[in-house]
Amino acid sequence: MTTHVSSAMETTMSNKPESTEKPAVDRRSFFKALGAGAAVAATPAMVTPAEAVDPGKDETRARYRETDHIKAYYRVNRY
Amino acid sequence: MARMKFLCDADRCIECNACVTACKNENEVPWGINRRRVVTINDGKPGERSVSMACMHCTDAPCMAVCPVDCFYNTADGVVLHNKDLCIGCGYCFYACPFGAPQYPKVGNFGTRGKMDKCTYCSGGPEVDLSPAEFQKYGSNRLAEGKLPLCAEMCSTKSLLAGDGEIIAQIYKERVVKRGYGSGAWGWQTAYKETIAI
Repeated sequence: MTTHVSSAMETTMSNKPESTEKPAVDRRSFFKALGAGAAVAATPAMVTPAEAVDPGKDETRARYRETDHIKAYYRVNRY
Repeated sequence: MARMKFLCDADRCIECNACVTACKNENEVPWGINRRRVVTINDGKPGERSVSMACMHCTDAPCMAVCPVDCFYNTADGVVLHNKDLCIGCGYCFYACPFGAPQYPKVGNFGTRGKMDKCTYCSGGPEVDLSPAEFQKYGSNRLAEGKLPLCAEMCSTKSLLAGDGEIIAQIYKERVVKRGYGSGAWGWQTAYKETIAI
């Protein structure tokens, strides 16, 4: 890159006609390569399936049990 | 496996709103939210009926079906609970619920709703049972303590029944048999028009 810049400066300073030789990586191919790389990097994130939240066995386990307290509730509700 | 259900005996409900007050106090429900409320039909006219309504903990809950972030879950007791950490306050569950159970604190700026809040059947949420974090977000966890929802337990006329669906259905059946056509005749006038006297 630096060589390319310095050669460009030389060209300007010496008022020579512009050189026709191409640099190793020109601007267009550089951005093309960059875009392809970004697309490859982004692909796995998009393919990953959405996952529903699993609250876990402990959260969904039964908490109700017929304690004496609850039995008394049922008894008094019968009349 | 026992399925938890609420059943309001509308013949006994006297619209005292004690269930609403007890629920608010027990669960420290924030301002602007009533997890339970008493609906009165034909208020002030002869034959008025009151019924105490909250989340009915549907078997195939519509709120659960519409939630875009899947924050609802069903417990083995048949209670529909939700995770407030996941809730985005979109309001879909409010539109889907036939009972108007989901409520919003409306505390955010620009008219945002905030996290949804609803009846938890006094059984907390996804946090560790009886932890302060659970109480702060969802209220008390009476089911884990071996008790039933306070609204039903303290109902003065024993109108609001809670507990194992089969047991409370049996209790209600016994009441209907004892009362005769008093409440057993609900729907009879629809079927037989004026030909039947209640």
